[in-house]
Amino acid sequence: MFSKLNIRIGFYLALRQLKRSSPWTTGLIIFVMVLTFLNLVVVSGILVGLIEGSVEAQRKHFTSDVIISNLNNKSYIETSPAIIAMVKNMPEVENVTARYVSAGTLEANYKTRKETDKPNTAGAQITGIDPVDENNVTDLSKFIIEGEYLTPNDYDQVLLGYLLVKKYLPFDSPSLSGLENIKPGTKIRMDVNGIEHEVTVKGILKGKVDEIGLRAYMVDTQFRSIIGRNDNNVREIAIKLKEGADPIAVRNALILNGVNKIAKVQTYVDAQPKFLLDIKKTFALLGNMISSIGLVVASITIFIVIFINAITRRKFIGILKGIGISSQAIEISYVIQSFFYAAIGSVIGLLILYGFLQPFVAAHPIDFPFSDGILVAPFGETMLRIGLLVFATIIAGYIPARMIVQRNTLDSILGRK
Amino acid sequence: MAIETKKLVRSFKDGAIETRVLKSVDFKVETGEFVAIMGRSGAGKSTLMYQVSLLDEPTSGEILIDGKDTAEMSVDQKTLFRLQKFGYVFQDYALLPELTAIENVALPLLMQGMNKKIAYEKATNSLTRVRLGEKLNNLPSQLSGGEQQRVSISRAIAHDPAILFADEPTANLDTESSKVVMAIFKELHQGGQTIIMVTHEDEYGAVADRVVRLSDGQIVN
Repeated sequence: MFSKLNIRIGFYLALRQLKRSSPWTTGLIIFVMVLTFLNLVVVSGILVGLIEGSVEAQRKHFTSDVIISNLNNKSYIETSPAIIAMVKNMPEVENVTARYVSAGTLEANYKTRKETDKPNTAGAQITGIDPVDENNVTDLSKFIIEGEYLTPNDYDQVLLGYLLVKKYLPFDSPSLSGLENIKPGTKIRMDVNGIEHEVTVKGILKGKVDEIGLRAYMVDTQFRSIIGRNDNNVREIAIKLKEGADPIAVRNALILNGVNKIAKVQTYVDAQPKFLLDIKKTFALLGNMISSIGLVVASITIFIVIFINAITRRKFIGILKGIGISSQAIEISYVIQSFFYAAIGSVIGLLILYGFLQPFVAAHPIDFPFSDGILVAPFGETMLRIGLLVFATIIAGYIPARMIVQRNTLDSILGRK
Repeated sequence: MAIETKKLVRSFKDGAIETRVLKSVDFKVETGEFVAIMGRSGAGKSTLMYQVSLLDEPTSGEILIDGKDTAEMSVDQKTLFRLQKFGYVFQDYALLPELTAIENVALPLLMQGMNKKIAYEKATNSLTRVRLGEKLNNLPSQLSGGEQQRVSISRAIAHDPAILFADEPTANLDTESSKVVMAIFKELHQGGQTIIMVTHEDEYGAVADRVVRLSDGQIVN
């Protein structure tokens, strides 16, 4: 079928048919192909992007590129200062933040509460940080929605995650008990390991990373003395790497230095919660299912378009065969037309995707309750989908063309059934 | 190239009804002849031409080309044979609307494997021969009926076919254009071209060497 001559004649016919066909019809078909392409790539890309946005937020604002945390049977990382010093000396490292973390209880309105009143309390992960280091690594200050961010000298002051403040809770849940009547300047009581301490709320943080929402932050030097961590051993060390540095390489280097014997060493990918990975897989599957339907719709569209085109040109197909043009060359001309529609549609789709949609969504993430959705469209996967689209389109173009071409030549010329 | 039919039958079925259009036709055309097939509407003239030009399959009987039975040829072999040996002029011109005059004429030449330059040169010569050298790049829609038929003739003769088939070539033309077309046929025949032409007009049938009259699916003279 694909002899050089047949391809040459098929191309000759296809080129002229495309060149002299109605621009509106061609435009409409290409428009359908563009929509199909976007449906194939964007729907699944956004579904995956919802979770990817969450993963990205987790990385940027909590774990950073690499995180060292306590082993499950320990409440802190032994020899933390030595590890921090070693990390800071690694050439790939840009910034490091160390966190003291301890469970505690916060109570508001404790001065005015009557004996019979239910205490206005919330459980929290109290976290001691160096405000400057933390901000350099996780950009924590950008989540301030009320009040101000901490400075290193802000003793007896805390930042509260929004999930600790009742008015910001997204829903009523027995497992989440936010503090009522809280605003910057409100004094609250903090209980850590049975040690009570009065602090003032300096600000409230709200982001789409749950770990931030459930924490109360205070300056590390003060928190260290409250919990009695005179050895300076912290619970978390988040490491931000320089642009282009490989988190896996840094993780492996730390493991080689034996850090994994006293702490968990994870890249941001390793540290992803399992449920996120599961949702990501499920959404990818859903996206693929929706895309498959889109592909079938596109194939049917092309089938109908080529079928109508071929049936209305049945007489001319008969004439072509009558004057000696091979059936294969005629079929190839329709295959080339289908390829043209799919290729142009995909190229325009690519331009829209990478030239506009992806940068736009990156700059203006889709605001979902649990993440800032981005559009995930890796180039390799996109090319694979283009391949699928082109293949499906070519088949959808070839079948109707063959159906018409195989009909009796004279019947076609004379328009007989 | 000589064409001969023996006991050629072509019938069409419409449900239980079978209509026999050609009834055991014996017919022969020798090399260099100009034969006009004439008869009333429905006599079977076009059907006979489609049979001998290998555009249709007979119900029974034989079609021999230079003594060889065409029943032994596959569909693809017949297509190739039509491409190389036959030329066709249809009543309604049968030009491809999206191809210009020169492209319509060059297409069968390209299919024969000629390179584009030579094919276009031959197409230009052929169109010039039918006095359309000025309208090479016109689309069929930009040509009159007579001009379109001349493009059709040009396409049919560009590859120097052994036999030229013409099915009512003047039926859709005015008198003036018809005369031009017939003059071209006459000129081609004088150059040695074998022509088999279907017509119902005596005036144009008279241009041929021999007239074969059909009536009710049978040759009557």
